[in-house]
Amino acid sequence: MRLGFNFTLGDTYDMVQRLLAERHIDYCEFLIDNFFCVDPEELSKAFDCPIGLHIMYSKFLEADRPTLVDFAARLRDYIDVLNPMYVSDHILRFTHEGRAFFHLGEIDYSTEYESVRDRVLAWQEIVGQRIHFENYPSIMDGGREAPAFFERLMKETGAGVLFDASNAVCAHRNCGTPFEAWRNVIAEARHFHVAGYRHSLVEPFISLDTHAEALAPDTLAFLRDFRSVFDKPGATMTYERDDRIEFDDIVADLKLLRELFGQPEERRHDLALSA
Amino acid sequence: MILLSLPSRTDRDLYPALMSPELNAKYPTDQKAFVRIDVSLRMYWHTLFDICPELLELSGLDGMSIFRPFMAWAGEKKLAFDWSYYLWVYAWLRQSPFKERLLADDKYLRSVMAASAARWAILDRGRDCGIVIGCADTTNLVIGWKCRSVRLGREIELIEPEEPLPAPPDIFGYFTLQSFELDLFPGWQSLAR
Repeated sequence: MRLGFNFTLGDTYDMVQRLLAERHIDYCEFLIDNFFCVDPEELSKAFDCPIGLHIMYSKFLEADRPTLVDFAARLRDYIDVLNPMYVSDHILRFTHEGRAFFHLGEIDYSTEYESVRDRVLAWQEIVGQRIHFENYPSIMDGGREAPAFFERLMKETGAGVLFDASNAVCAHRNCGTPFEAWRNVIAEARHFHVAGYRHSLVEPFISLDTHAEALAPDTLAFLRDFRSVFDKPGATMTYERDDRIEFDDIVADLKLLRELFGQPEERRHDLALSA
Repeated sequence: MILLSLPSRTDRDLYPALMSPELNAKYPTDQKAFVRIDVSLRMYWHTLFDICPELLELSGLDGMSIFRPFMAWAGEKKLAFDWSYYLWVYAWLRQSPFKERLLADDKYLRSVMAASAARWAILDRGRDCGIVIGCADTTNLVIGWKCRSVRLGREIELIEPEEPLPAPPDIFGYFTLQSFELDLFPGWQSLAR
């Protein structure tokens, strides 16, 4: 298992360089649409390591085709220069009746499958690339339908799943989605996310994907229990941290992940080739 | 009034309430749906007051005398809650009981203009590189630049032009820049709702 860190803006540039230099991580994941005004060549020289590209605001379930074509054209510039290990995106709602959510919304897996499938097929065709879609940290009970939804989506679209382990932990805590229900998705997936979560401020407590805390014991237990399903040749796991960014805390979590998965067998050069 | 029969199986069932304190109050407080909506509403609250803490001087520490009526007003007007979120808060404050105190100190205006410029710079995915925001209450301009280097974040500038631009026809106006230079004035665009 290769370990990576999410790079979302320049503030953490020096820290990511240090994580790489000290071999706490093996690759870097760009939140790529934050960098659409940065020259792709500059981005390609930023870090001497393999790269993953994570998309935040394509809004491919909601945007019109000309907007997506333009977004994809810019994304392609980075894909062509950076030759990423993977390109990933989100299946979620940004708006309702034209009004923006500030805490993004989960889709209804039971009623929206066909429309999402068609959008996924179209988005992959526009980008010209297989895309890995991230699972949501479900709160409401409809989240129990997510594993079957993603399994079917992979089969019928050729898309991958960027499986976020801590999102699955949140879903397990919030709506009882069994870890076992994700087994086939995890087995098929090669690219993963993991992060901390926290509880809501009011009761009944729910667990919120925050990217601001240390890895929780139940997240680590989930990874340990499913270790052999997660780990596979070419597998990557990005540790996400967007708030309370303290180098020592991040390294402590990365060491836990290293202990769990062991040192990656492939060298960086081999990883780039396997992508 | 509590409506016990409100559907709440999926997140989608709650979409209309995720931006409405009024609708949240209709859900039983001991249910997950109430907490889920509360989490969403807190994001609107924190997005406003964490970035513009000066506004709490007007409202008091919990911010609710601004937040609740503004969110209700925004709901009536169906505001999109895009990058201009903070500017609409100012527009609401300007016609609220807070108007006199608001206009007595331009720090509130500077804060909301900078916050909206920053929000545009981080959220907009069009090809433009920057945004210029102007206001009828000041000749100063605020510019938001998107991230232009891997070592930088977004950048916000306050400009005091030697020759002021004409005032926007509405309270606020904006225009976008296709390069990282402020070298033209194409005229003001009005805020979209």
